[in-house]
Amino acid sequence: MAQLRGAVQVVPPPSSAPRQFAMPDLILSDIVKSYGAATALDGASLHLRGGEVHALMGENGAGKSTLIRILAGLERPDAGRIEIFGRPLGPGGAQAAGLRFLHQELQVVAGLSVAENMHLARPYPRRLGFVDWGALNRAAATALTRLGLERIAPATPMGALGPGDQMLVRIAATLIADGGAAPWAYVMDEPTAALTGAEAERLFAVIDSLRAGGAGILYVSHRMDEVMRLADRVTVLRDGRSVSSRAIGQTDQARIIHDMTGREIATLYPDRAMPGGTTRLALESVVAGPLSGVSLEVAAGEVVGLAGLAGTGRGALLGAVMGAVPRQGSVRVDGQLLRADTAAAWAAGLAWIPRERRAEGIMPGLALRETVALPHLARMTRAGLVSRAAERATVARLAGDVRLKAQGPDQPCAELSGGNQQKVLFARALAGDLKVLVLDEPTRGVDVAARFDIYALVRGLSAQGVAVLMSSSDLPELIGLSHRIAVLGRGRVAEVLPAEGLDEAGLLARCYAAMEG
Amino acid sequence: MGQVMRRYGTAAGMAAIVVFFAVALPDTFLTLRNWLNISQQISMLAVVAVTMTVVMVMGDFDLSVGSMASLAGVVAAVAFTHGWPVWAGVGAALAVGLLGGLFNGLLVSVVGILPFVATLATLTMYSGFAFLMSGGKTIFGRDIPAAFSGFARGGITLGATDGRPLVLPWLTLLALGVTAAIWLVLEQTAFGRRLYGIGGNAVAARLAGVKVMRLRLLAFGFTGVGAATAGLMYAARVASANPTQGSGLMLTAIAAVFLGMTMSAFGQPRVLATLAGVVVLGVMDNGLTQLHVDSYVRDVVVGAIIVLAVSISAFGRRATGG
Repeated sequence: MAQLRGAVQVVPPPSSAPRQFAMPDLILSDIVKSYGAATALDGASLHLRGGEVHALMGENGAGKSTLIRILAGLERPDAGRIEIFGRPLGPGGAQAAGLRFLHQELQVVAGLSVAENMHLARPYPRRLGFVDWGALNRAAATALTRLGLERIAPATPMGALGPGDQMLVRIAATLIADGGAAPWAYVMDEPTAALTGAEAERLFAVIDSLRAGGAGILYVSHRMDEVMRLADRVTVLRDGRSVSSRAIGQTDQARIIHDMTGREIATLYPDRAMPGGTTRLALESVVAGPLSGVSLEVAAGEVVGLAGLAGTGRGALLGAVMGAVPRQGSVRVDGQLLRADTAAAWAAGLAWIPRERRAEGIMPGLALRETVALPHLARMTRAGLVSRAAERATVARLAGDVRLKAQGPDQPCAELSGGNQQKVLFARALAGDLKVLVLDEPTRGVDVAARFDIYALVRGLSAQGVAVLMSSSDLPELIGLSHRIAVLGRGRVAEVLPAEGLDEAGLLARCYAAMEG
Repeated sequence: MGQVMRRYGTAAGMAAIVVFFAVALPDTFLTLRNWLNISQQISMLAVVAVTMTVVMVMGDFDLSVGSMASLAGVVAAVAFTHGWPVWAGVGAALAVGLLGGLFNGLLVSVVGILPFVATLATLTMYSGFAFLMSGGKTIFGRDIPAAFSGFARGGITLGATDGRPLVLPWLTLLALGVTAAIWLVLEQTAFGRRLYGIGGNAVAARLAGVKVMRLRLLAFGFTGVGAATAGLMYAARVASANPTQGSGLMLTAIAAVFLGMTMSAFGQPRVLATLAGVVVLGVMDNGLTQLHVDSYVRDVVVGAIIVLAVSISAFGRRATGG
């Protein structure tokens, strides 16, 4: 055991330690939890063993978050048992029992170093009462090395790392002993939500090494491809109940979707309609962010996808079209030159679904009718006064189109699930005279059923002659929805490919090729 | 339970305060005369607090309202000493309020200074202007036209009790008019709805096509005019103007808005809730004065009530996880 000065020790990898117990495991059985009249969990069970990646899947509102909050001791179940090593888990005992939780929204202190961030929740090593910086950095370095992260220096400021590396540092931090039980199980809630493809790959490598070391990983994700690739076992929750738990070899994508939704989804991507032909959106020599001159045309009824590695400016291009990011060059809608500001964009019939739903889309306290009406208020006023009747009518007209599940137009957005918030934003986009729809990661953090609704919606709009410009890091989705795909690299459009017949590997290869120029 | 506490805790507290004073002051407190009196006492605070609500809806606030109120009073009084007619003096004071408010808005929205810092600076500036214009002295006596100060003493006579007339003061009616106008602007117009959008999430509002910069600038104009109006009301009521007479308004106005915010589900400022906050503070002041409670003690009690209301609201929020 690497003995360091002070209180800091690094726990040896579980694989090197002699196993005194049987394989560690965690059993949740028949957990029930209600909030007032609403039942969040109604008999949820799960069995996590050491040395496996166990995916927990379910639609938004199926009870995944509640189950994890109960496991973390943040909520008390109304009924049911939680056992670790056959012993019941008391409230707040998760940490002491060796469980570690990694949430999608990282809590890091950007101004402190990597090593200090790793020690935030535990005593700093000290010498003569002062912080022993050498020991602090060595403990951090040892833990980072265990995960093969030698490239991250412990003294680097946390804020200088990307979200992927920050996530990895957080995982490494759990390997530093803090007097409690050594960690053997990790609960990861949508860990790749904010990561690029390459960052996610590094996370997967770390997950593989944790699993090889005997750790159990409870992995919550909406991304089917990740789950199929990583997981050894999949448990599906529906309406607060665990409906299936199968080894990955005994299930497949269609079966998981069926379990989650309770219905068959014949084909994930509806057929493409033929684009109309006339140019709706025309970009000429657009300069913004990393882009040094992008020209691109989208026809009425056409869906053009933007592909490109991280940092190639997909988001900047969408922002520039909407006027949210300063730009040079020209943007035309139906031949009309567009001013570079968001109000002008909405007025001209552009609408966008932003990437960060919570930071860029939703105002928690506003009623959903107010959110839907916000860009279109000028058209919903009578004699200078906003007509609530017009707002309610708009929501009523669109709720069915976007398959929104809500109590009514006056419900605050804060009370809706992520998928339904996204549908509110779609309703908002549809509420005006829509000509061009700009989508930035339209299905991020959205469950499978809502995702299918969104695909069908985009298809329907395309059939009505709306031009769609979208960016997505989910390549199958990009290929499945687009007519053409523009590959960005080195500040411009490297090539425009027809999506038909393209596969994920082929597109990824074109993305890398675009960087070479 | 938490939800109920949060929504109705303040209202229940208000009722308790009224009941307490009604019992402690059985002969005088619950009379129409006393309530008309309270309404006049709180009319200036109401105008400042209600217009302060306009910027607080966006999550901003304006610390300069007190010195703007003083400055507006001084501007009008100096205009009167130069022989300007009443309408011109009042117009000049309101114009100063509008310009001062828009200047705050310019600093906050276009230059991008935090509202706390920007309006702390203009608080000092406007106060300095008031001292410069008045020479640091109180302007009173024959210089103040009777038509100006008479407005604050007059009203609509409702009848008489005990041989004394019962008057609904013009100041009360003015405050009600301002409240109604701001309610209409914030709750019923696209402008107001966009301000709530900015307060909910400024980034999202901009991406939804809201002209955030322009609206923020304009909203501060409302607050500036409101402060100047209150300053004129005060000057008319005491028939004089001095460069510090509005200084108590700012903190009390912000306190009233905060009290009101405890009554809304997501802690948003609402005009009618602000008015309720103003009434609570006015009733406290009136009742404690009648009970001959020392004015320093009064400050402690009022401060404690604000802490209590906001704490209950915060606990309620935590209990409901909202």
